[in-house]
Amino acid sequence: MFGWLKLHKEPVNAVVQQFEAVAWPAADTPVSQCRFLVLDLETTGLDAKNDHIVSLGWVVIEHQEINLAKAQHLLVKPPVSVGQSAVFHGLHDKDLSKAQDLADVMTELLQHYAGAVFVAHHASIEQKFLTMACQRLYGRSPKFKFIDTMQLEWQRLLNRGKVVHQRDLRLPACLSRHHLPHNQHHHALEDAFSCALLLLSQLKKSRNHQMTLGELTALSRG
Amino acid sequence: MEISEVIKFLAKTTPFNHLSTAELSQLGKHIAVYYYQAEDKVPTNGRRLLIVRTGVFALYSDQQQLLAKLQEGDFYGYQQLLTDLTDADILKCEEDGLVYWLDAQMFHQLRHQFKNVDLFFQRLFSRRLHQYKEQQQNSRFTLKLHDVVQAHKISITPQQTVQQAALLMTEKRVSSLLVEQEQKLVGIVTDRDLRSRVLAQALPANTEVAAIMTRQPHTIDKNAYLYEAVQLMSRFNIHHLPVTEQGLCFSMITATDIIRAQQDHPVYLIGEIHRQQSVDGLEQCSLHIQELAQTLGKQQVPAHEAGHIITTITDALTQRLIKLAMQQLGEPPCVFSWLAFGSQARMDQSLNADQDNALLLEKEPVGEVELYFAALADFVCTGLARCGIKLCPGNIMASNPELRLSLKGWSGRFARWITTPTPQALLNASIYFDLRVIEGSRGLFNALQQDILAKTANNDLFLLHLSKTAQERTAPLGFLKNFILEQDGKHKKGLDLKKRGISLITDLTRVYALSAGISEVNTRLRLKALAETQVMDSRDVQNLLDAFDVLAQLRWDKHLQELQQGHDVTNLLDPAQLSALQRHQLKDCFAVIHEAQSSMRYRFSREL
Repeated sequence: MFGWLKLHKEPVNAVVQQFEAVAWPAADTPVSQCRFLVLDLETTGLDAKNDHIVSLGWVVIEHQEINLAKAQHLLVKPPVSVGQSAVFHGLHDKDLSKAQDLADVMTELLQHYAGAVFVAHHASIEQKFLTMACQRLYGRSPKFKFIDTMQLEWQRLLNRGKVVHQRDLRLPACLSRHHLPHNQHHHALEDAFSCALLLLSQLKKSRNHQMTLGELTALSRG
Repeated sequence: MEISEVIKFLAKTTPFNHLSTAELSQLGKHIAVYYYQAEDKVPTNGRRLLIVRTGVFALYSDQQQLLAKLQEGDFYGYQQLLTDLTDADILKCEEDGLVYWLDAQMFHQLRHQFKNVDLFFQRLFSRRLHQYKEQQQNSRFTLKLHDVVQAHKISITPQQTVQQAALLMTEKRVSSLLVEQEQKLVGIVTDRDLRSRVLAQALPANTEVAAIMTRQPHTIDKNAYLYEAVQLMSRFNIHHLPVTEQGLCFSMITATDIIRAQQDHPVYLIGEIHRQQSVDGLEQCSLHIQELAQTLGKQQVPAHEAGHIITTITDALTQRLIKLAMQQLGEPPCVFSWLAFGSQARMDQSLNADQDNALLLEKEPVGEVELYFAALADFVCTGLARCGIKLCPGNIMASNPELRLSLKGWSGRFARWITTPTPQALLNASIYFDLRVIEGSRGLFNALQQDILAKTANNDLFLLHLSKTAQERTAPLGFLKNFILEQDGKHKKGLDLKKRGISLITDLTRVYALSAGISEVNTRLRLKALAETQVMDSRDVQNLLDAFDVLAQLRWDKHLQELQQGHDVTNLLDPAQLSALQRHQLKDCFAVIHEAQSSMRYRFSREL
């Protein structure tokens, strides 16, 4: 009787399966060869269980170049009003009328970027919200691994013997420190682009010019 | 999806600044962003256009010679994209920075779609960017009516009497009145009307103005050009013209006003100078030089012409002062030539030039001769200083006894510089090699000039040393924060347009001119003569001429702006004040100078 439920679940789950089927590049892959997906989310709050994604922005780094043709900015229809969070991301309910279903957005992300190395600034937020979204949509989530530019920056500053305050690690502060151009903060695509610039700068500034993905992952874990 | 950071940057970068937002966002999709670290080599044959976003990149020739420094808004790669040739250039990152790579497809598409984009890169490629003009360019303009007439409306109604009109005209000291009815212009009344239509006709004093006024007079809008007013007046043989603003009366312009408006014309000022009977009078005249400069600016007279005009005025002041001195001192004991050196000699004086002059005497400066010319020189030099042409800090002035010599004296001095040149002596002496006679005997002067040219032409040792001193200073190759900025006495920082640009062209042109025995002194004329006699390649000459004009124009515009703001006139330019186009042009000029200096080095050292 509930066979249709199963039928419906099968193909959707395939998205997760396919995503999981493509492994991360091997740990000894030089970072210069990696394909990175630099991602930023804007949400209605910080609690992945109760808050929702309102927009996703991403840019792709291949051969250490940010390819702007593949930049994406997707608005997501949240199940509830964006409420007070509009103050941060500037997206109001009226703007979201043309937004897409979270399912479409997630499917596009998982189908196109399996095997890419995901990157975000303060990545635990992105990780939690993506995981929660997959669980809600597909019943199960792949294990998202992220390179966190905030962690990388923290390591970098520690190695240089700096006392690091929390505020020094915020994205605009990092951009200033790296002499990178700024733009509108709290816009998913602009922030993803900024985060990508930060990663490129961090990679260049590391003394290890032949750095492998394994080494980068280790740095990102702290 | 576009990234506003990228789009905003492109929108302020020449030549993309004319594209619409939609076009820019299309453009943005064809960009890849790369981060370079100092010492990184940038690939130069990628068939892509490199746009520098941040950081500094140094471009070297395959012989490791520094060609240019690229920074925000600069391009590389268009050379190969335009010609399909590969290049052996080396591009190296000097300061960490971001570059945008624009793919070839979009580059060509933009060139085909937008003529100015194509023109920009073509010009950039052929180093002829100074010929690229922004699309919306102000049209050349001359004086407009509102530049010369003030809102000054003196009017009467048609119902008032002719006596009232005469009283009003006397009281306001004007020769004509506007006749208005309910704010609308209905006629004018002039002095002549009162004479010929009232007095001559024996009309009573209480006649209404309406009866004798000229009805429906010609009018002119205040935004019309001054010459249009002149045309109207001569066409209809009238001397009074009501000026309107959006159909309403604004003022009246008379033939006298027009003549007065022309008074800051240089010819007028020069005539005035020659009529002065005292140094005080000349000082008064010289106060008008700044107004004249501003008028020239308004009329968009090109910098080299303005330099010529300003020199002509200095010449006139000098000539008049010499006449006044002779009136005071009596007839001179011998024939003399008053010489000018430097910018006055080259006829490219700027508003902040100081004096460089000397005396060439028929007889040896001893006894009576010395006493007379010492007094004359003092009179003229202090007089010039009072007229705003500062005393020379290096004491290159006729008031210095060492600069009052006979033909033999001068000839010997030049001979020493020419036959036993030392770099230090030449550095100080190069200014003497630009000389011109301002007043006195032309024959005496020609004798000296021919003597000098005969000694310098094809004199390899001298030319080698002179060309070395002409390379002591170089043009900046990049706009690097502290690299090129110099300080003046008031601790203002900036790029010295004269020292780092204009003078370098003057210096190297002098070397070539002396090598070829060319008697012209003006830099532009020297260059033209060098091209005609095929001493220099005509393309190189054209590039130098263009670069010279661009630099002179930048300096002139800057001086005018400083005058207008009541600041001191200086040659220090703040690079931050430049538009992107001006920056490109300036870099272009520096590259031209750099190349010309290298070929000069090659030319004059090889022949030794």
